Amino acid sequence: MSTTDRTPLQTFLLVLIPFAGLVLLTAIGLLLREYAPGNMGTGFLVGAGLALVAAAVAGLRVVRHPERATTFERGWTQRGDERDDLVLTRALAVLGLLSLPLTVAATLLIGVGVDQLPILLALNLALMATLAISFAVINRRN
Amino acid sequence: MRNSVRDLRTSTGMSQAELAAALGVSRQTINSIETGRYDPSLPLAITIARHFHHRVEEIFHVDD
Repeated sequence: MSTTDRTPLQTFLLVLIPFAGLVLLTAIGLLLREYAPGNMGTGFLVGAGLALVAAAVAGLRVVRHPERATTFERGWTQRGDERDDLVLTRALAVLGLLSLPLTVAATLLIGVGVDQLPILLALNLALMATLAISFAVINRRN
Repeated sequence: MRNSVRDLRTSTGMSQAELAAALGVSRQTINSIETGRYDPSLPLAITIARHFHHRVEEIFHVDD
């Protein structure tokens, strides 16, 4: 059913959590810029900024044109109905299940002497791809 | 599970979007229910049945 009715506490948390996330991401980005090798900090800040812009666009679409919003947008902004929640929950479950073997494989590769940075980058990309693909497949089948 | 939501909706001249708005769900959810890809929860099934003035078992049928 619809989850558009909110208590004052839920509304407060919906404002507080993104703000706290923004502060945390900025702090991590600045720390990485200061201490991490190469352009890691700048890359992190650009990536986080793009993700925040995408989240803001999704939020605006859900609020202003809910009939045009996608399952992904409704699910991630917590404005979805029971099917949206089911799709998101199942996609996250697939991600959780696959994260264990992927992390073990990455650890083993690092253990046998492969460069850490490419492995960690590949791990992150594999996890993001897993979530995106599983969400799309589950959304199509349900 | 099979259902007759599409027949009932079209017989009342409603679009999927209108039914979705009346039930408080997305149009995609209505489409998924009508095509049998998604079985609604019991509360939503009851809401659908009440909307069409039917009983749940008159709308939703278990596959034999």
